[in-house]
Amino acid sequence: MSLLDIFMIAIRVAFSAFVPLCFIAVCVWMERRGAGFFQDRSGPNRAAIFGFRAAGLVQNAADGIKLFFKEDLISDHIKHKFFFVLAPIIVFFCAVMSFAVVPFADTLVLGGNSYVMQGIPMDVGILWFLAIAGFSVYGIILAGWSSTNKYGILGGLRSAAQVISYEIPMGLSLVSLLIVYGTVNLSEMAQFQGQLLFGFIPMWGAVLQPLGLIIFVIAAFAECNRTPFDLAEGESEIVAGFHVEYSAMKFAVFFMGEYVAMFASSAIIITLFFGGYQIPFLNTQALIHLAKPVAFLLMIGLPVVMYYFAGWIRRSNVSHYERENDPRVFEANVYIKCFWGLIAIIELLLLAILLMQSGGAATHIFVALLQICTFLVKVTMMIFVYIWVRWTLPRFRYDQLQKLGWQMLLPLALLNIFITSAVVVALG
Amino acid sequence: MFAEVLFIAFAALSVLGAMGLILFRHPMKGAMSLIVTMISLAGLYALLSAKLIFVLQLIVYAGAIMSLILFIIMFLNIQDNDLPVEEGRFLYLAGGIAVIIPIASFLIKIVNGLPDSQVTIVGNGFGGVKEVGLILFQDWLLPFEIVSLLLLVALIGAVVLAGKRRLVK
Amino acid sequence: MGAKVKTIERRGSTLTERIYLIEIFKGMARTLRHLVRNLRDNKKLLVRHYPEVQPEIPARWRGRHRLTKHDDGTVKCVACFMCQTNCPAECISITAKERLDDKAEKMPASFNINLLECIYCGYCVEACPLDAIRMDTGIFSVTDNNRQSFIIGLEELLTTPGAYSEEDYKKGGA
Repeated sequence: MSLLDIFMIAIRVAFSAFVPLCFIAVCVWMERRGAGFFQDRSGPNRAAIFGFRAAGLVQNAADGIKLFFKEDLISDHIKHKFFFVLAPIIVFFCAVMSFAVVPFADTLVLGGNSYVMQGIPMDVGILWFLAIAGFSVYGIILAGWSSTNKYGILGGLRSAAQVISYEIPMGLSLVSLLIVYGTVNLSEMAQFQGQLLFGFIPMWGAVLQPLGLIIFVIAAFAECNRTPFDLAEGESEIVAGFHVEYSAMKFAVFFMGEYVAMFASSAIIITLFFGGYQIPFLNTQALIHLAKPVAFLLMIGLPVVMYYFAGWIRRSNVSHYERENDPRVFEANVYIKCFWGLIAIIELLLLAILLMQSGGAATHIFVALLQICTFLVKVTMMIFVYIWVRWTLPRFRYDQLQKLGWQMLLPLALLNIFITSAVVVALG
Repeated sequence: MFAEVLFIAFAALSVLGAMGLILFRHPMKGAMSLIVTMISLAGLYALLSAKLIFVLQLIVYAGAIMSLILFIIMFLNIQDNDLPVEEGRFLYLAGGIAVIIPIASFLIKIVNGLPDSQVTIVGNGFGGVKEVGLILFQDWLLPFEIVSLLLLVALIGAVVLAGKRRLVK
Repeated sequence: MGAKVKTIERRGSTLTERIYLIEIFKGMARTLRHLVRNLRDNKKLLVRHYPEVQPEIPARWRGRHRLTKHDDGTVKCVACFMCQTNCPAECISITAKERLDDKAEKMPASFNINLLECIYCGYCVEACPLDAIRMDTGIFSVTDNNRQSFIIGLEELLTTPGAYSEEDYKKGGA
């Protein structure tokens, strides 16, 4: 095993472990500011370090510090303290593990060796996600049960019943997808989606399996315990559900686990239905071939985008009341300078790509980086959909939830399997 | 070497989990130890390169069935004073050990008599989804269908039994 | 007054509404329009930037209490205990003393209001026969970091000025 091999393993494990954690901050920020803007409010934007609010991102740091230094108490009425502490760990661990099999770039070829770009290179792919997603319900059951609290138990029961019943439509909608792709391996699925249908439509799962997409997305929302399926913590009925007895860091771990699960299931939806890391119309071979034109286009496009972005920052980041020497204008100028600096660095890197010999290691790394960026952009958009749905739809009633799962999604998923297999057999 | 360490760890964990299942008084603790056993069995399957069986063990046994069991235990919400008093507990244990020792020694003898095998990764996609599926649906189609019929019968039976009580009301 | 009967049309029975997804997408489009509008111009957000921009308090609004004075600066209150008796939260405690300046027989020696117990119902103002206690200071945010400072006494009640002119206050219907 050469040094490069070890380095690549370290990189991919680090990516699949730390990127979901970094995205917690982004998710929480998007959730809060997004919620504000959906409802014509401004969302948290007051917390600042030396007057820099970073559009509200500093609020996350403030909340994190608060949760970290809060008293971590376990009430006396809780008898099974081991399970009480174990529960948030299970939820968080399962959420992080379920992202491990998602490929975030195509296989990277360096010096004749090829490196798989996923945390755990595993053939069973999507089955691993199903298995781990099933485990996270243990955390919720244990949390609800060991809290010795009727709200906790009710929340745990609701959540467990919901996750168990929505796993079935989720698995069945996957079956039809597996018939189309002919593999359970997520890397192969993503490679499959680099092809073109009739020569001009990207062969994404969303195009081939629209019904499967709808069923899977609904089931994934239910698995994440997100609105409209967040009965487990319906604060108007059962206070906070299974985490009602948790405080400080143990609550924070639950909270982060929820957002990591959201990130992981967005990543899975992207990989299954929206082409994973594939840029539409440009699969990996085409990208390696066209690396220089793409880099050139980016070099032209980035400053243009940045110009309009800077204008937007300048317009948005001002005080909305009479104020002498508005400090937010200075703040906006600093942000704009930082972003221009970042753009300049990227431009230099792109210039280096343009000057280097094509087809070499640099081109391969450039393509991999492009694909990682595409993947992250797509995942962010999917997370935005999660947030968008949360701040649009009201919560389901419990009987409506079970009726939707068993009487609508299950027959639809079965129908989808029959139609898909008939079409696949007919086309040979 | 690495595989052997893993094997010993998984084997010890599964035995410990099974012991916990029997020895713990509270059903929730017993169920959690059973989950440990199930997961370490899955690890043992993975060591045998049986990838599909590994995942199925995780999804079906460690995931679905155990979460149903936990769900029921939580639903019943058993308190410590609801549990029955087990007076002759250690007597039963001693008796059980006395019965098992000859069987266990017999089993150990059989296992020692088996030809040596090496823990290595088998190639050609052995134990993968495709390979197991091909074998299952080509060579073993009839037994597979009979087993699935059996499961269907059990399923319908469960539905009938669950529905009957409502009729009596 | 006759009851107004308004017949509300029941919705949700047509096929497109029963499919449910179409209606969901309609709702999502509506919220997205709000998001895009607010992202493009965040001046349209319906928020008041509170500590810097104070709300406009109307004259009828019941804020923190004050005690009024005669034109010559002596206290109007005659320590009749009407407000203390009428207070549903029992937050007023008065002790009376003899009054020597011929305006009345009694005057308050101490007049304590516990603002933590006060529910700002305004019954004390209604009960007062002499218009001696009013809630027209316009103070709506009472904050401190120890409980003792929330019990305000005669001194503070007398020195706080009213926020509105006499005409505005009277127009309010008091």
